[in-house]
This record gives sequence, C-alpha cells and structure tokens, in this order.
Amino acid sequence: MPGLFDRLDKEIKDRQKEGGISPLDLAALPPALRRIMRVMLRELSASYPRLCDAVDSMPEKDRLSRPELDSALSDLTEQFWLIRIGEKEKAIYKVNLRRKEGSKLAAGIWSALENKLKGRS
Amino acid sequence: MSDGKIVSIHSFRGGTGKSNTTANLAAQVALTGKRVGVVDTDIQSPGIHVLFGLDEQKMGRTLNDFLHGAASIREVGFSIGENPGEGQGRAQLKGSQLFLFPSSIKGGEISKILKEGIDFNVLNEGLQTAISEFDLDYLFIDTHPGLNEETLLSIATSDVLIVILRPDTQDLQGTAVTVDIARSLDVPNLLLLVNKALPKHDPQAIKAEIESKFDAPVTSVLPLSFDMAENASRDLFSLCYPDHEWSKALKNVVPFILNAK
Repeated sequence: MPGLFDRLDKEIKDRQKEGGISPLDLAALPPALRRIMRVMLRELSASYPRLCDAVDSMPEKDRLSRPELDSALSDLTEQFWLIRIGEKEKAIYKVNLRRKEGSKLAAGIWSALENKLKGRS
Repeated sequence: MSDGKIVSIHSFRGGTGKSNTTANLAAQVALTGKRVGVVDTDIQSPGIHVLFGLDEQKMGRTLNDFLHGAASIREVGFSIGENPGEGQGRAQLKGSQLFLFPSSIKGGEISKILKEGIDFNVLNEGLQTAISEFDLDYLFIDTHPGLNEETLLSIATSDVLIVILRPDTQDLQGTAVTVDIARSLDVPNLLLLVNKALPKHDPQAIKAEIESKFDAPVTSVLPLSFDMAENASRDLFSLCYPDHEWSKALKNVVPFILNAK
C-alpha cells in the first residue's frame, strides 16, 4: 500500500506532465524570480520560509515584498511553472521544467534506424 | 543549497577542444584533493569518456539509463580513481576522488533520446543528486556545442560557466550570444578560455582584446598544439606532459575555479 511520500511523489509527477517552464523562459523572468527559481532548481524544492529567506538576502533594489512574493508564487503555480504541495507557510515549491520534445521525424524512420542498429550489434 | 559547485563548460561551435579541456581541467582540480564529478550532457554526441579510457564495454550504467528510470545516479557514477585504466597520464588519477557520469555511445540509446526527448526535471534531479550523493566539491558539465535546451538548463544552474572560444570571427560572434544569455540567466561566475591560439600571436594581446570585447575575464590562452592533436584524445595531455606550454596554460585556469564564489 503506497505511503504518504509515494502519494505526494505521484501527485508531483502527474502535475509535471501538465506543462512547465523552459530554460529560455527562465531568462525572461524578473531578476528576483529568476533567483528564487535558481534556489529551487539547485535544492530541487524549497519551503515557503526558505524562499522568504532567499528574497530577504537579495539586493534591496530587487527585493520583493511578501505580498509581491505571494502573488508571484501564485501566478507561477497557476502557469504550472511551479508545483506547490501544501498551503501558505507550510507550502513546498518545486520548479516544473518543460520536457524536451522528441524529434518530429516520422516514427518509421526511428524504427528503421533501430532495426539497422540492432542488426549491427 | 549543496556546497558543491556546478562548472559548465560550453562553446558555441564544435571543434573548440571543449571535451579535452573539460577532462583535463577536472583531472587537475581532482589532483588538488577535491571531490570532482564530470557529467557528459552531450547526449547526442558523447565523447568525454574516451579521455578517461572508457569504451562501450567498460562503461556500465549511463546517464541515458538514469533518464529512462533504469538506474540511479549512484549506479551511473564511474570511479576514475579506482579504475584509471591504462595510460601514463590517467594513472596519476589512481586514488583521486574523480567520478565520470557518461552518456551512452550505443546508437540505439542515442536515437531513443532523440526520438523521445528528455525530461528536464529528471535531468536536473540527476545533476543535483550527483553532487549530494557523491559529496562533490565540483561537478563539471560537458555540454553540447551551441545553445540547446539542456545547455541552457546547465547554464541556468551553474555557479561557474567557462565559455571556450578560438580566436576566430565565427567563434567570437557565437560567444557574444552565449555571454548575453549567461548574463540574462545570472550565472555568478562567467569566465572565458581561449583555445587554439596561433603561437605567432601574443597571448597577452589576445587576452586583452577578448576581455575588452566581452567584459569578462579570460582565464587563459591555450596555444594551438600539434602535440595535443597527436595525442588524439588517447590520454589526458596535461597529466602526460605537465611541462608543455598547453598544459601550463591550462593549469592557469584552476585557481579561477577554486576561488569562484
């Protein structure tokens, strides 16, 4: 029987399939959001208090107020660029990176290539 | 955030000597006593494993297996310190804490990635987990030349980005693009490394010109070397010939990495 961790893991994986942010989108974000996205990418996930700490350590000109941070996190979550587990102070956030699409070449080309390669090995 | 630093090595164009430089730099940093990983994210055209003496038989689990959920990142990490293989240069790595995370060189595995794409959440998890599970001080990422999405991801998460370029007009234009993108992704340490400079030109003049053009430090100017070409990726050149001009110039880059904030 799956435990709490397994269920949360499944929930995250299901949500990750629903879109996500591309590395190029990251470059287009405002500086403060880019920095908190970087924290989440490096730490794989971050709690709300951790993100508040990250914002507080930014240069004053880039720093977000708490309402601005809350609003940004909410917007990013709605776009599926972030995945949120839990609510408010207890929320955990994780970046949802968009999958790199496979080649659009006709499927027949790949199976022909695969057969050819199998024949060689 | 883990204390381990990500060092991405990139070039806008192919043929700049990126994999050779990455392997030699990683080895030099490992020889200072640091724990070092090298990951080959050039999944379409992997090659850095050759410099560490690996072939299809010796390779074991690969990054491709990890991306397909068939292996953990722990299983992919290949200890060069325990298996330095043959070669007088690589032999010096025996006992070092240097780990290679190779990409598969099987045609079927490469075509599978091209066909199915890459889950970047899994790739990023692999990079960060490699740092924590192997307790790495530095994770070097050998990227695919040009700007594709996996390269952009590695740039976005890097602490140090080293852009390799030749003193060539096409390279200079491409490097300008890479530098712009790296700046827009807030890479904390953006460094340049010139390779294949003609010996008749003054390295200091090349360094000054490129630093002025890109407003970024040039860590070293490596000469174009027939000796290096003759080595043909058989071994780690800077370990085989430590007193060669190319090796001495390469070693100038190491303090930039060790002192990066």
